[in-house]
Order: sequence, then C-alpha cells, then structure tokens
Amino acid sequence: MTSTFHSIETAKRSLFAQQTSINTVGHNISNANTEGYSRQRVTMTAARPMEAFGINRSTSAGQLGTGVEATAINRVRTSFLDDQFRNQSKYLGAWSVQSDTLNKLESIVNEPSDSGIRTVMDKFYQAWSDLSKDPENVTGRKIVRETALALTDSFNQTSKQMQDLSADLTSSIDVKATEANTYINTISSLNTQIRRIESLGDDANDLRDQRDLLTDKLSQIVNINVTQAPEGYNISMGGTNLVAGDTVTPLTPAALEAAFQTGDLNSGEVFGMITSRDVYVADYVKQLDTLANTLATGNIQVTVPAGSVLPGTTTPLATATTMTVQGINGLHKLGYTMGNPATGADDFFTFKAGATGFTAASMQLNANITSDTNNIATSMRTTTTGGTSTVVVGNNSLALLMSGLNEVKFTFDQSATGNGISEATINNFYSSMVGALGVQSQEALRQYQNSTAQTEQVDSNRQAVSGVSLDEEMSDLVKYQHAYGAAARFMTTFDQLLEKLINGTGVVGR
Amino acid sequence: MSLRVTPGMMHMQLSRNLNRNLAQMDSLQNQLTTGRKINKPSDDPVGITYSLRYRTELASNEQFQKNADAAHSWLDFNDTVLGQAGDVMKRIKELTVNGSNGTNPQDALDSINSELTQLKSQLIDIANSKLNGKYVFNGQQFDKLPYDVNAPGFDAKQVVTDAGDVSYAVGVGVTLPVNISGNEVFGTGNPVEADNVFSVLDNIISNFAVGNQAGAAAQLGNLASRDAKITNARSEVGAKVNRIELMQNRLDDLGINLTDMQSKTEDADYDKLLIDSKINENIYQASLSVGAKVISPSLVDFLH
Repeated sequence: MTSTFHSIETAKRSLFAQQTSINTVGHNISNANTEGYSRQRVTMTAARPMEAFGINRSTSAGQLGTGVEATAINRVRTSFLDDQFRNQSKYLGAWSVQSDTLNKLESIVNEPSDSGIRTVMDKFYQAWSDLSKDPENVTGRKIVRETALALTDSFNQTSKQMQDLSADLTSSIDVKATEANTYINTISSLNTQIRRIESLGDDANDLRDQRDLLTDKLSQIVNINVTQAPEGYNISMGGTNLVAGDTVTPLTPAALEAAFQTGDLNSGEVFGMITSRDVYVADYVKQLDTLANTLATGNIQVTVPAGSVLPGTTTPLATATTMTVQGINGLHKLGYTMGNPATGADDFFTFKAGATGFTAASMQLNANITSDTNNIATSMRTTTTGGTSTVVVGNNSLALLMSGLNEVKFTFDQSATGNGISEATINNFYSSMVGALGVQSQEALRQYQNSTAQTEQVDSNRQAVSGVSLDEEMSDLVKYQHAYGAAARFMTTFDQLLEKLINGTGVVGR
Repeated sequence: MSLRVTPGMMHMQLSRNLNRNLAQMDSLQNQLTTGRKINKPSDDPVGITYSLRYRTELASNEQFQKNADAAHSWLDFNDTVLGQAGDVMKRIKELTVNGSNGTNPQDALDSINSELTQLKSQLIDIANSKLNGKYVFNGQQFDKLPYDVNAPGFDAKQVVTDAGDVSYAVGVGVTLPVNISGNEVFGTGNPVEADNVFSVLDNIISNFAVGNQAGAAAQLGNLASRDAKITNARSEVGAKVNRIELMQNRLDDLGINLTDMQSKTEDADYDKLLIDSKINENIYQASLSVGAKVISPSLVDFLH
C-alpha cells in the first residue's frame, strides 16, 4: 500500500538527483582547464521499489518505483593510459635533458665559426708560416706569441665552459631530487587522505586526480613503476621503493647516483642529467684534454733538413734526417732561441702550477715566451767560431716545420681518445670530435621529438577519455535542467491532485 | 578508437602545431640571416666535418698564396739585381778588350783601371743588395753584411757567403728556396775560384797598372766563364719565377675550388629558402586564422 504522499517523495528524490548532476556539470565546467582533472559522472540508479520480496507483501499489483537516486560520483579515466603516459614521459624526460645538454655542448664548441678552436689553430699555423718568411723579425714573433696565447685561451675557456656545464648538471640533479621528494611526500599523504575518505564508501575523485597528476610529474623525473594497492599507490624506481602507502623513502642525489650505477635509475630527467654529465660532457672534456696533450707532447715525425745543428752538437747534419719528437714541445726543443751564445729552446707549452699534465684546462704558453718572444725558436742552425756557438737567425727550418704541423699526423693516446683515433692530424681529430657531437645531438633531438610525439599522442588519448568537453557538459546541463523542471512539474501535478483531493472532494456538509 | 574531442585537446593540438610551425620558421630565418645551412654541428654532422676541413684548407691556401707572393717578389728582386750584375760584367769585358788591344798608352790604361775600380765597387754594392732589410746574397745569414768593405783586412775575393737556403713554404710539404748565395754568383772565396769576379778584376787591374796587356787579356776567358755563370743564375731565377707563377695559379684554382666546395656544403640555397619561408609564413597565418575560428565557438555561444 503506497502512502498518500508517495509521489512527493519521488519528485523530491528526482529534484535532488538532477541537482547533484547539475552540480557535477558545474564542477566539470569549472575545471575544464584544470591540469590533471578528469571529468566526473553521476551514476543515477532507480531507487529501491516498493514491495520488496518478503512475507508482508501487500496484494497490490506490481513493483512501484520510488524514483531516482544519485548513487555515486565517479571519475572517467583509464588507468591503462596513465601507465602508458608514465612509460613514455620517462623517455621524454631523459631525452629532453640529453638533447638540451648536447645543444649546449654544440654552442660551447661553436663550429662552424670564425672564433672556434679550429680557427685559432689555423691562425697559429699561419703565424708560424709568416714568421718563417722573416724569422729575424720581432713583429712575427709577437704574432706567434699572441696566436699561441689565443690557442691556449681557447682550450682553457672551452674546458672551463664544459666544467661549468658539468657543475650545472650536478646542481640540477640536486634540484630535481628536491622536486621529486615533494611529489613523493605529497603522493604519500594523498594516499592516506584518499584511504580515509574512501573507507566511508565515497570516491575521492579530486584527490585521486591530484595524485595522478603528481605521479605523472614524478614519472618525468625518474623512471617509476606504479602499483595500486589497498593502501594507495606504491611507487618504485627499479628495485627502490619510493612510496609504499604512507611511508616514503626520500631521494638524495647520492641515492640517485647509486641507482644510476645499479641500473635502478634508467630513464627520466635525472637519468638524462647523470648521463649527460658522466657520458657526454665527460667524454668531450676527455677528448679536448687528449687534443691539448697531443698537440703539446704527442709523437710526431719530422724531417730535420740537412745543415741543421741539433742541440747539444756542433756538427751540422749531412743529410735530412727523419726523427720522432714529442709534439710541439719536442719540435720546439730542436731549435735555438735568439739569444747569444746559442741556447737550445725550451718547451713551447707548459702546464699550470698544480696540474700534473697537459689538459685543455691546464695548458698554457711557456712563461719565458710570454715575457720574451726571443725565446721562440725558429732557427735550427748554429755556427761555431772559436768554441762559441752563434745562432743563424736567418735559418727558418723550425718555423717551416711548425707551420707544416697542421698536415702532420700526431699519435694520440688510444686509451684516452674516446673516439677511436690513434693517429691523425690535429684537425682531423677535432673535426671528427665535432662531427660525433653533431651526430649525437641530432640523434638526441630526434629521440626527444619522437618521445614528445608519443607522449602527446598518449596524452591526447587520455584527454579523449577524461577531458571536459564544454559541448557535452552544456548538453548535459540542458538535459538535467529539463529533468529538474519536469520533476518540479511532476511535484506541481501531484500537488494539484492533492489539492483536488483535499480541497475539492468531500464538499458534503460544507 | 573513436575519439571524443574536447576543447582542451584542440587547444593542445593547435598550440603544438603553431609551435612546430614557429620552430620551422625560426630555423628557416636563421638560415636566411646567416646565409648558412650549417649553423651547428647537428644541422649536418657529416657536412660539418667537410666544412671544417675546407675552412682549414682555405686558411692554409691563403697563407701559401701570401708566401708565394713573397717568394715571387724575392725572385723578382734577384732577377733585377742579376741583370745589373750582367750589365756591369759587359762593361768590364768591353774595358778589358779595349785595354788589351795593344795600342793604348799607359795613361789610357790608368783611366780604364779607375773605371774598373769603380765597377768593382759597383759589383760589391750589388753583392750587398738588400730586400726588406735582408742581404739577399748572404744565405741564411741575411742579417749580416756579406761584403763588408769596412772590415779590417777586407778582400772581396776572400769573402765566403753563407750557403744556406732561404726557403718559403708554398704548398703542403712544398718549400722553395728563393735565394742564391753571393759565392754562386760572384765566385767562391775560400779557396778563391779562378773565375771569382773580384779576383779576375784584381788581376786585370794589376796587369793594366804595369802595362801588361797580355796578362789582362789572359783573364778574358775567366771573365766569360763568370759571365756565363751569372747568366745561368739569372735563368735559374727565371725558371723559379715560372715555377712560382705556376704554383700561384694552382693555389688560385685550389682556392676557387675550395671556396666552391665550402659554399656547396655550408651555404644556404636562398631561392629555396625564400620560397620555403614564404610557404611557411602562409601556413602559419592560415593556422592562426583557422585556430581563431575553431577555438572560440561552443554550445555555450548558442544556447540561451
């Protein structure tokens, strides 16, 4: 037996349910541009009908409906796409950093240009060639000195810039660790909040959105694996647990480096940073060091012309003699300074105090030469009269040999080259280094663009599922508005029925 | 998968496309403003290794051209000086022939002698010729005066000039000696060569001084052989000039080739770039205006 006021209750439920839907539409519209928001849907279910199964069943026919109920508000979201997104965004993170670093290395190397190391080296050899024409000339010597200083400056500065880049990457790792830790901490506290709310039976939609968003962001920094457990998201990086319910293992730069070594950290921005620093930048620093070291001391073969007097001897060579010397330094030491009596020349390049060998950073022009250009050797010939050796200043053999060094193959230390070249001209070594940088940079850029496209693709798919469509929300709004209106009208109709019943019937006796 | 399309997706897609378009424009404009298609190694990693090589080769080519020019001017100078020496030799020969024809009285021989003495000084001057501050006949000792008349006990025929080569680098591994030593031209000094020009002159002068015309005439053979040596030296210089000129031509050609190859590797193709950039601009504008139309309207605009 239904109550007199049964339909008022039905109408009221309908009004409430439609209102809930309208509120949700409003919530969706408000969050149309919220990052990480997924649209929400109200699940409406017909309320439990009268005359449920039981002993006290009345004799009236049928199950009378009791209207509608909003039973749940859910997010529309596919967790499979979340997994896909996080899988892609770790590559995006790694390649964007690597591509960025290689790009920076390219601008440090600064080729092709009129100011890179190659130009400076050309100028150095040209200065020697000019000096060979006027070996007695002070101006020519000064130009050789200046170009040599420019050469060492270029090496020093390029090395410095690479070291700076390396240091920048180290501090970026610190910053990223901090950023990751805030995400990890928030995710874990969201785990707690979500569990608390959902224990009451509701869905913590907006908190879940936040947690997913933070997880997305974390996935770009380090490679993570997310599993859904009763206590919330469990997040691990390789074998390292980061979040387990409400417990957190914070990331430290040291822990990240260790994870890089063990392979737990294998993609993401931090991986990109460590790779950039320890692989790319370190490799180019090493190659540059090798270049500087080889230029100064690498084995080369030179042919000393007949008539030259080797230092320590007084007899001119009868025939041209081919010999192996140690780089520019070794060659320079075959000659004589302009001083009288004839004095054997010193090293051309030296390394800075405190350094243990020639590196791009430590290389410098011998201070003797910086202060007195007469210590630049051009002559390989002396004459001896009365036991005193005098330099033949017009002899330009050494200057000629120096200016020809750009075509001479140097022996590179195979273990240190890093680009597999054991014997090459300085220019060849350098251009193969620049070429390799170009290839790596191009590859990194391509990978970056690829992973961007793929991440965007997955993100599009996610948006297609979870994004708020204003058109859709508007039509829903119209739909719910009409339903609300109709429910209100139903209430009015029933009100009129009761009006008739109460005020219009049973007028007998009035 | 049938996609729901949301405004958010459209915004994302549009801004992505606009961005891609802008990046493309940026790259095109970079090429247009620098005039180069390789602006960093990754633009063309293979191309850049060639580019670096061409640049280096061009630099050394320019240097070789400069060196060749300098060698050329040194050789030209040698030629001029040897020409002058040849003229002097001719005059010496004339005077010697004149003086030894038997009819000359002693005072005529004395005046011939005074001219010969002058010519000897002239030859010493020539032997001390200087180019750019360098004594060209003193080998690698070009900073020292070879025939120093003020030196104590100076005797021109005793002078030993330096035999070292002054070499200029005019190509990869190619050096060219540009100098001739004084002894090669005027005769060796120690031991004194029979046809050493100063010794010959001294002999002629001393013979004329005592009226020994036959003795002076006996030197004519030496005079002729020295003259031939000077002429030889001059033609050798000529041959070297030819060689250096050939070298210069080759260096010029190489320079043109290298510049051409460098340009092919590095330079932007302006016609193509301009067209591409125009197309890109149009696409960009089209995407902007389409974007403006697509983005704004939604049901919100039409429902009342």
